[in-house]
This record gives sequence, C-alpha cells and structure tokens, in this order.
Amino acid sequence: MKIQRTLAFTKRALMQFRHDRRTLAFVLVMPLLMMLVFGYAFGGDPTGLDIAIVNLDTGVTTPIGTNISFAESIIDNLDDETYVLHYYDNREGAKADLQEAELWAVFYFPADFSTNLFASFAMNGTETSTIEVDIDDSNPNLAASIMQGLQEALMETQEDITTELGLPEDTPPISIQTTNEYGDTQDIEFIDYFAPGIVSYSIMMVTVMISIILFVGERREGTLQRLLVSPASETEIVVGYALAFGVIGLIQSVVILSAAILIFDVNIAGSIFLALFVVILLAIGHQGLGILLSSAANNELQAIQFIPLIVFPSVLLAGLFWPVESIPSFLQPLAYFIPLKYGIDAERSIMLRGWGIAEVWPEITILILFAILTLTASILLLKRRK
Amino acid sequence: MNVIETSDICKNYGDLKAVNNLNLSVSQGEVYGLLGPNGSGKTTAIKLLTGLILSTSGTATVLGHKIPSKSVLNDIGYMPQETAIYLDNTVHENILLFGEIYGLTRDQIAEREVELLDFVELSERRDSIASTLSGGMKHRLSLACAMIHRPKLLFLDEPTVGVDPELRATFWEYFEEMARDNITVLITTHYMDEASHCSRVGLMRSGQLIAEDEPERLKASTGTASLEDAFLALARRDVE
Repeated sequence: MKIQRTLAFTKRALMQFRHDRRTLAFVLVMPLLMMLVFGYAFGGDPTGLDIAIVNLDTGVTTPIGTNISFAESIIDNLDDETYVLHYYDNREGAKADLQEAELWAVFYFPADFSTNLFASFAMNGTETSTIEVDIDDSNPNLAASIMQGLQEALMETQEDITTELGLPEDTPPISIQTTNEYGDTQDIEFIDYFAPGIVSYSIMMVTVMISIILFVGERREGTLQRLLVSPASETEIVVGYALAFGVIGLIQSVVILSAAILIFDVNIAGSIFLALFVVILLAIGHQGLGILLSSAANNELQAIQFIPLIVFPSVLLAGLFWPVESIPSFLQPLAYFIPLKYGIDAERSIMLRGWGIAEVWPEITILILFAILTLTASILLLKRRK
Repeated sequence: MNVIETSDICKNYGDLKAVNNLNLSVSQGEVYGLLGPNGSGKTTAIKLLTGLILSTSGTATVLGHKIPSKSVLNDIGYMPQETAIYLDNTVHENILLFGEIYGLTRDQIAEREVELLDFVELSERRDSIASTLSGGMKHRLSLACAMIHRPKLLFLDEPTVGVDPELRATFWEYFEEMARDNITVLITTHYMDEASHCSRVGLMRSGQLIAEDEPERLKASTGTASLEDAFLALARRDVE
C-alpha cells in the first residue's frame, strides 16, 4: 500500500465536498439540526430499569402482635414495568454493580426502617425512617424517572399505612436520602444525556448515506472500473476513502459538540479527544458498511432504500433514546449486533461518567473490530472478479 | 512480439456466450478497431483484456503478461464507456488524482497536465468543476486521464458514443497521433464508418470474430463500398 496513492483518494473525496456545497451543508447542518430538534423536543417514559434492592429491614411488631415490614410494602408498590428488581444482601455489592453500570440505582432499607417508621407514625416518635438511594445520574431522564417511581410507591404505602392504622392525614412523609454516583443530578439535564447519542447517531447516518451514494456513483460513472484497471490497490482505495470519512466525522463532531456546549451548556466530564476518537472509529466502520451496501444497489435510488434499514434499528434499538434494558427482552439481543450501540455507550461513559480508556476499552475494541471487519470485507468485495 | 494476444478466450454468462473463442493479435503501434453492433461482445472483450472480469476459458497475454496481472496495469490506459471522471472535482483535480495513482511526482503531473490539456483543448477549463463541462469536454477529460502516465497500450471502449461528428473527427486525429508515437490503441465502436481510421479492424458478432483485416481489404474482399456493407455481407455469410 502506497501512502501517496492512498492519500490521493482521501484528498479527492475531501475536494469533492469542498466543491459540492450542498453536500457539505448536509454533512454539517444535518447533525446540528438533529441535535436541536431532538434536544428540544424529545421526552419519554423509560421502562425495565435494573434496580438493586438491599432490604435489611427486620420489620416491627405491632401492639396486636403481628410483624409488619414497611420496606416490603414499599417494594411491593414499586411499579413492575418501570423497574426490574435485583435483590442484594449488602449495599457494597450492589454499589459495586452500580459502578460497573449494571444497575441504575440501589434502594437501601436499613434494619430499623420499620421500627423507626412505626415509632414516628404511631407514637409520634422523633426517629426518622430513611431510604438511602444510590443512583447512576449519568442519564438524568432515567434518574428522575427512578426517583419519581420511588416517590409514588412511598406515597401509596404511606396512604395504606395511614388508612390501616387510622393515622392523621398530615403524618410526616418517609424521607429519601440520595447519593448521586456521578455528581449532582440537578446539574445534568436530559440534553447532557442526549448529546453523546446524537453525536454518534449523526456521524453514523451521514457516513453510511454518503458512502453508499459515493460508491454507487463510482460504479455507475465508471470511475471504479477505471481505478481497478490502475495500479491503485483495492486496499489503497478503501483506506483512502476511510481516512476522508474519518476527517469528515471529526469535523462533524467538532461542530455538534461545539453546539452542544455553547447552546445547551452540555457537560463533558471525560476526555474530549477520546470522545472524538470513538467518533472517528464509528465513521470509518460505517464507511466500510456503506461500501458493502453500495454493491447491492445499481443506482442512487436503490441506494437510499437501505437508509431506513440502517436508521430504524439504530434509532430504536441502539440505546439512543432509551436504554437497551428497557426494550422488549426478545429484541434486546439484536441491540448487541448494532455497532452504534457501542459508540453511544462509549460516548456516554466518556462524556457523562468521565470514564477513560481503562473503562471504555471493550466498546472501543468492538468498534475497532467492526471497522476492520467492514473495511476488509469492502476490500475483498472490490477484489472480487467475476 | 504482439502487444495483445488471445487464445480461444471465452466468457459465458450462464447460457450466454458473451465472448466465444476470440483469437486476437494486435502488434505495437496499431490502432485496432473492434467493430460490431451493440451486444456483440466488444466491451466484454475489453474487460477480459484489462482483467476487470475473468475468462471462462482460454488465455490472454497483454504486453507480455498473462491476464489478469497487476504488473501490466502501470503500462495500460483505460477509458470506459462511461465518462469515468469525478464530476464533483475540477479538471485539474481529476488529472492530479490519476497522476498520483500512477505514481507521478508533482512536477511530472504539472508538466503532463499542460501537455494533455493542450492536447484535448481543455487548458482554459483547468479549474472548472467537471460537471459543468459539456458532454464532449467530459469525454476529452476522460481521455486525458487515461493518458496521464504515457501508457504503452490504450483500451478505449466506445470513446465516440454521444460525441458530435466534429469531436469524433478530432478524437480520431488523437488516436492516429498516438499510433505515430508508437502507442498501441484498441478501440471499440459500433460506428462502422469511423473504423476506416483504424489500421486493422476485427468484426464481432455474437461474441465471435467473424473477420479481421485492414478496412480497405475488408471492403475489397466483400465487394462493398463501406465497412457497414462489408459487415452486413460478412454477417450474412456467417449465418449461412
């Protein structure tokens, strides 16, 4: 592979964008527009959130001799559509899984929860009953939903208790003490959660669309035939274009992230360079995918028919709007075959959790493998002679 | 040694014999015309000779290399039927890309660009985006791109399709000039009349070469006044 020839393709593709103002505008404005539209407009009710329950509550024996656990009542009142409950014996184990991002929150009920609650209700005691919540607030939308769901369960339980025990309506509420895993939920807005997804999604979409159309054009206009009868190797052609798309992806990301920071005041907790590196990997891998798909299309019209095939699974299953855990379980395995999922996961971890390469290497490895796979397949496809 | 030599080369697509036992011999400095109606196998023959497709049977040797061969690609130029230029790039950027592909230095490309744009009369349009050129200009740019590396052998697939008569005449002048520089040209066309410019022509029908000779001798042997009539006479004879 000669670097001069490889870069000749990179340069050609970049020059094309310079001359084709409309496509250049598409490349730059479309992601920006998506960021604005989704950023302002989107909202939703998440479901299937993994929550740890650490229930050490020993319950309380009432004057009539029965043992009541208020913690059990609250847990029973948790909405089973919103939450998937996992039971832990101790708070440390649950917190460890929270830090590994396997859980969204830990609800901790101390041993004296029912005792104190009963004392404050029935005997006007001063002890307070507290549910301690450790929460992954990297997704502020989910964090808010989790807390709202817990509040609803508490109110329901409290109503039951006051009715059952004939207590006055103004009984003090059960308090919740929250510990945020990644800072203060108040500071992280939905847009912070959304920005990394939009960066990844826009780069993926623009790269696939343009590379499909570009390579269909190469075939239809005869330039590809001409290249294949030149000393340029298939590897030089594919890598040359991959570099061009890497550069374009980088420029796009800078535009989107600048908008996110300047307009929406998005926080970036981790390394911006690592975030950009993930975007470049996404662009290169999807450029390869674009070349592969282009071989199945005879013209641009057929080419754009592939777009919904790529767009819808990515939008719905890759965790762009809601976590993979909240999509129907029979669809969940599909999500793991969508490379965008790993891009979104990595970007969120870097930008919201402040994670570095030590934590996001599995996603980065998958994206590198995806890029190698699609580029190798593209090279083999071009090498194939019938 | 012949520049192109094929031996019973065949290309089948299912039951269709696109090229059927083609035996070609083209020597250096010839302008060899492959003539025939649409679908007669001319383009398939060029694709076989350039290694774009693989033969079903038979062999082909180009500039001493058995095809397909990577090493021959530096010495051949190819102008496909389509315009095959990057329409969103300028004339200069197209020339630059193909120059770099063939490993020319910046200075060599700059020197060759001046010569070629002068040759195809596009010097004034050096910085124009290719899509803004007229159809004829695009064809001329395509020819310039095929010649950037001074190939020893040029494959031109229907280079005059959709080109106005004046430009067609200019093109044939180019090809004759190349032959004078000892460049071998294999050209396909279905315009029978213009093939009289070739030093030799091969008449193709249904994937087969039905006759091959100098244009004047073909006309004489069939007792016809034009190559078109010669082709029709030979085609009838072939059917009988």
